[in-house]
Amino acid sequence: MSVKYTPVQWNNNKYIYDAVMLLGVALFLYVFLYASPGILSHERPINPQVHNARAFGACAFTMLTVILCIGPLARLDKRFLPLLYNRRHFGVMTVFVAITHAGYILDWYFAFSMSDKYEALLFANTSYGQLSGFPFEVFGIFALIVLIVLAATSHDFWMKFLSPPVWKRIHYLIYPAYLSVVAHVSLGILQDQQNHVFTVIFIGGAAAVGILHLLAALHERRADQMLAADAGAWVPVCEVTEMTEGFAKIKLLANGERVAVYLNDGTLSAISNACAHQNGPLGEGKIIDCLVTCPWHGFQYEVSSGRSPAPFTEMVPTYNLKLEGTKVLVDPKANPPGTYVEPLVAPKQEAVA
Amino acid sequence: MSDKHAPFFVGYLPVPGPLRGILLAVCVLFISGLAGFGLALGVAQDDPGDGAFRFDYGRQTVTGVVELTPYPLLRVTEGNDRIKAGHTLMLAGQGKNSVENRAIPLEGKLAKVSGVILQRGDLDMLQLRGGRNGLGPVEGAAPELVTEPLGRWKLAGEICDGKCLAGAMRPGRGLAHKACANLCLIGGVPPVFVSTQPVEGSEFLLITGPDGGPLPQGAYDYVAQFVSLEGDVERRGDLLVLRLDPETLEVLE
Repeated sequence: MSVKYTPVQWNNNKYIYDAVMLLGVALFLYVFLYASPGILSHERPINPQVHNARAFGACAFTMLTVILCIGPLARLDKRFLPLLYNRRHFGVMTVFVAITHAGYILDWYFAFSMSDKYEALLFANTSYGQLSGFPFEVFGIFALIVLIVLAATSHDFWMKFLSPPVWKRIHYLIYPAYLSVVAHVSLGILQDQQNHVFTVIFIGGAAAVGILHLLAALHERRADQMLAADAGAWVPVCEVTEMTEGFAKIKLLANGERVAVYLNDGTLSAISNACAHQNGPLGEGKIIDCLVTCPWHGFQYEVSSGRSPAPFTEMVPTYNLKLEGTKVLVDPKANPPGTYVEPLVAPKQEAVA
Repeated sequence: MSDKHAPFFVGYLPVPGPLRGILLAVCVLFISGLAGFGLALGVAQDDPGDGAFRFDYGRQTVTGVVELTPYPLLRVTEGNDRIKAGHTLMLAGQGKNSVENRAIPLEGKLAKVSGVILQRGDLDMLQLRGGRNGLGPVEGAAPELVTEPLGRWKLAGEICDGKCLAGAMRPGRGLAHKACANLCLIGGVPPVFVSTQPVEGSEFLLITGPDGGPLPQGAYDYVAQFVSLEGDVERRGDLLVLRLDPETLEVLE
């Protein structure tokens, strides 16, 4: 959370996250670039430019695969949520690795002719009417452009400037970009590769992304079915006895929105489940220092007003609640973001019992 | 979330104790995993073959008769230790460029060529030095040279650019290299057909258009693919030249 925009709001966890990420990437590149040539028993070495391009390309694909596995992993098991925390740094690093890959390709395969290398990239192969021999470079170009746009707009400034829904939609382009990378590899190097280790790793990585997303979607669908409410004036959420102090119950409304009903210091309040930062699930967070804390990036809100504490300015919608005996009901009509709603005093647990 | 005992991570706060173990394990797995993938992918690269610029041979200078197919050739009449008389050299310029403009005025005449050899097995090509140092006229009458027709052949194999194939790039063939091969061919580098079965003892044939012109534009879609084709083959010295019939080009599974 911030009231001003700084390039990076560093903290110890971010330092550790980035150090681990950089160490992993550096090791990948070092081993590929400097250790593998000694093991390969080639009569003559692969051109250094091609070797470098492959190292950075393979590294970018691996990084992108890991990045896309983090989201569904965190949805399936909350213990992986910390991996989500600084994922955007991972993404930005991936862009630099991918640009290096593209640079080596441009300066090798598309250089040394009378034509400009960028023009040559576009006109050298125009066999768009066929699958085998298709100019797979265009998939790489598309993916690279998307990655650059995503990295350039990854800062919170852009999310505020574009608004979270627009920002989120733009950043969903990561999926077409990943599919494009898969096509780039499938119609390119995979067509020539005789050693199937590469093929197995590539297909395994892409399959892991697909399967994890499928599992996470099924997991959420099941959860949504349990949370789903019928349309009505007041929607039952739960019994007060089912609630835990400092935590929330989530209800999926008929209009698709989710409400997080919190029990805070013996009172009940309801806010939107979607964090104003990146739509993180506020109802899966907890109350820390009297504030609802998002499990994704730690953004905090007053539970009765949906406002971040001063000097922060983020706001989420609130909802009206009522009690019918011990049953908690929510009005599905959201209040404007930041609207104060007087918390309901929850019946004492012993009185309920 | 209602499990008040579950550890709750907030990025700007210290990591909860119960999460430290799993996060440490993830870090170790991530770092060692990336190193492992780097090694596995690095050593999974195929052998690009023995083609290379033979700078170790030193600069090669030989004399012969220039022919245009239309790709420039030199039928060597006066060789050296490495390039014998009777050999036919394909000629290319620096980078992805032809030496056609320099060769046209010397067609059918004696000339001296100088440059560096590219060699892959029986295939070779000479990358010429710049200007007249690379290709220049020589006094004397050019001998009559025989071109022997070998009839029409149906072949299977791959159309490549001869220079990358001969070793300018390692690897220098295949679909991942197709755009580069096309760019070389657009620049006038001699195209070579790599036949799966040797033709009269040679698996490499210079491939041209049907009328002795350059490789037709339509054939570029077939570059780097496994194709079958038909054409007339002729022998020029020890080099076979295949005049492609573009109508017969077909991609094979």
